[in-house]
Parts: sequence; structure tokens; C-alpha cells
Amino acid sequence: MSAANLPQPAASDSVRMIRLMGSVSLICGLLIVGTHIGTMEPIRRNQEFITKETVSALLPGVDKQAVYSLVNGDLQPGAQPNVPVLYAGFDKQGALIGVVIETSERGYADTIKAMYAYSPDLQAITGFQVMELKETPGLGDKITKDPAFLDNFKKLDVTAGPDGKPAHPVVTVKHGTKKNPWEVDAISGATISSRAVGRMLAKSTATMLPLVRKNLDRIRKGN
Amino acid sequence: MPHDHGQPAPSPAENMEAFLDGLWKQNPVFVQVLGTCPTLAITNSVSNAVAMGLATLFVLVCSNALVSAVRKLVPKQVRIATYILIIATFVTIVDYLIKAISVAVYKALGPFIALIVVNCIILGRAEAYASKNPVGKSILDGLGMGIGFFIALFSLGSVREILGAGTFLGFPLFGPNYQPWVLFLLPPGGFFTLAIWLMVFAAWKDRKKRREVKTMAEAA
Repeated sequence: MSAANLPQPAASDSVRMIRLMGSVSLICGLLIVGTHIGTMEPIRRNQEFITKETVSALLPGVDKQAVYSLVNGDLQPGAQPNVPVLYAGFDKQGALIGVVIETSERGYADTIKAMYAYSPDLQAITGFQVMELKETPGLGDKITKDPAFLDNFKKLDVTAGPDGKPAHPVVTVKHGTKKNPWEVDAISGATISSRAVGRMLAKSTATMLPLVRKNLDRIRKGN
Repeated sequence: MPHDHGQPAPSPAENMEAFLDGLWKQNPVFVQVLGTCPTLAITNSVSNAVAMGLATLFVLVCSNALVSAVRKLVPKQVRIATYILIIATFVTIVDYLIKAISVAVYKALGPFIALIVVNCIILGRAEAYASKNPVGKSILDGLGMGIGFFIALFSLGSVREILGAGTFLGFPLFGPNYQPWVLFLLPPGGFFTLAIWLMVFAAWKDRKKRREVKTMAEAA
């Protein structure tokens, strides 16, 4: 009844709207693509630099770094795009300190990208750093710097089970209920983001750690 | 003036006014109290405030220009959607640019870059000014408002970093014995600092008004 009384936009109006929105979208799309292409190279260089710095921070005392890519279920030297990458860090004497592995998982808002350090000698995760996130400021973004949360990753147990995967997968537990060395104590108020961290570590350790162990002698020699 | 068909080109004085309004008389933060979310959140250091101010200035000028350029073509039913589309485009561009310039700045600003899209100053200027004025004046308005926002962020950032960390742009000011007033780096410090600046502005306006009344009385 009331709908009939409303002034109906003429058909040409809709066409006009669609045409306008379409052309504005086209212009905007071109602008974004142009910027994306133009900034690709400097962003890649920046990322490389930051990655190197992060590996140094996660593996104290590192002097030399080597990069491996996971291609068709096997580790190959060198960085390759769009596959999981890991970095081996060696001290001044050339001994392996540990490996740093990239990982990502869907958080509360967008994908969280992070890196963690794994020590084959301790069979434990020895460090964790978020590289990129868009979580809620003041809540979810606490996973980057909350000291109590980061303490979880000073020595997080991922000892290998019979199949080479961690015997006890990393799991995030409710704040204040951490009992075992493979559990991550969530931040209260940032439960979804904390769980995402637990999930990304569980998934990544399950695929990457068996590979690291299989290729450990090769990695230790640096080739 | 929604329609400027056949109007004479705006005089330099009018242009100057469009520019100066945002800087001082209509300062988006100190007078209109708009965009307080980034104002409070990213002003814990001068460098963050400067980066955020510049990013917002860029988005504001570009979106004002494009909104003004298409203003006569946009049907009013889809105008807000069109403005948001334009604003989001420039925010994405600024996001890429900051990532290309410095990852440290990108990390410090983090999710707040994307949140420039919903900064009400930008949509406010698109709707209230750029959609009714020619491109040149809209750019000037964007510049004025953007620089006004920049000044506000810079004022807050300076006070908070000097008191809260005892540094300015990272350089220590008071020697090793200064005990930093950490409260000013924390969220409450943002509110206190904004309140202090608003007080200063209110007092200044009040004084000016009284002086005007006095001169008028004397003239009479």
C-alpha cells in the first residue's frame, strides 16, 4: 500500500546509478591496481629486510641465515613465492641454532601472519612473533606484545611423537588454566586471536617439523 | 551553493577562506571534535601522529577532489556508497604507500590505516563540502581540514610524548633523571591531553568574544 505511494525511480534512474557506480568502481580499481604494481618492488624489499631482522630477533646469536622452501612435500634451498618458507640460523662457528618458520591463520579480522622459532635440540618452540595482523586494537592485537602471552613461547613443548608430528599438538586453553608445557594460555578478552595462534602453530608444526627433522643433517651442513 | 553553473570563478579571498576554515576556525578536532578515535589512539608519539596526520591529509585531499569531480553525475540515492568507495580506494592506496615507505610505520599504525575509511572528517567533508563545490575549492578545503587535523594530532602527540616518555621524535629532552609520566602514553593520557587542548581553545574563543563585545560597547 505505502510502497505504491512512494515515488518510484524510473528505469533510467537505475541504469544511471549502475553506470555511475560502475565507472567510479572502474576508476578506483585502476588506481588501486596501479599503486599495487608500483609499490610491489619496494614492499618486497622492505619485507625481506624485516624478515631477516625477525629471524635475528627470534634466534639470538645468529650470524648466518639460509632459506628453504617447501615444494611438493620436500625442502629445497632458496626462497620461492607462495609456498611455506623456513629460515635456518647459524652461529659464528657455523652450528645450527634453530629454524624459523612462517605461518598464518585466520584471526578475528583477516589473516594473522606470524613467525616462530623451533629448536631441534630442545624439541620446543622458543619464540613467536606476529608479522601482520588486523585484529581489534586494544583487544586482539595484544597477541603481539602481551608479555604474559609471549611467555608461552619461551619453551613451548613440541616433542616428536612416533609419526614425527608433535606428540601433543599445541593447543590454546582458557586464560589461567595452562597445565601442560604444550598449552598456550589465552589472553582474556582476546580469546579468538589467542586460539588462532594456537591453531596456526598446531597446523604448521604438524607439517613442517617432520620435514625439518627428516632434513636436519642437510640443514645442519647448510645445503 | 549546490549549483555553481555560470557563477564567476571563486575569488582568491574565498579560496583562502576555504583553506583557513579547517586550519583554525573550523578545526576538525579542536572545534568540531570529529575523528576523535584516531586522535586519541595514535597520538602516543610524535612520529605516529605525523604519519597518521599525513595519511589522513592525503586521503582527504584526494577524496575531496574526486568526489567534487563526479558530484554532478552522482544520483543522490547512491551518493554515500559512491563517497565510501572513493574514500576506501585512497585508503587502500595510502596503505600500499606506507608499506612501501616504512614497515616500522606500517606496523605502528597497524589497523588504524584501514580505519581512516570510517574517519568521519573525511566522509563529512565529502558530503558537506566537496559534493557542493568545484574541484579547486574542494582540494583547498581538504588541505585546510587535513592540515588542521595534522596540527591537532601533532599537538596531542607532542604533549603526550614529551610528558609520557621525556622525548621528542625519540630524542631525549630532560636527561637521564627524568621520570617519565607514563600515564600520558596510555589511553587515559589521550583523554587528558585532548581535554587540555579543548580547554585552551575554549578559553581563547571566550576571550576573543568578550573583547569583541567590549569594543562594540565602546563604539556605541
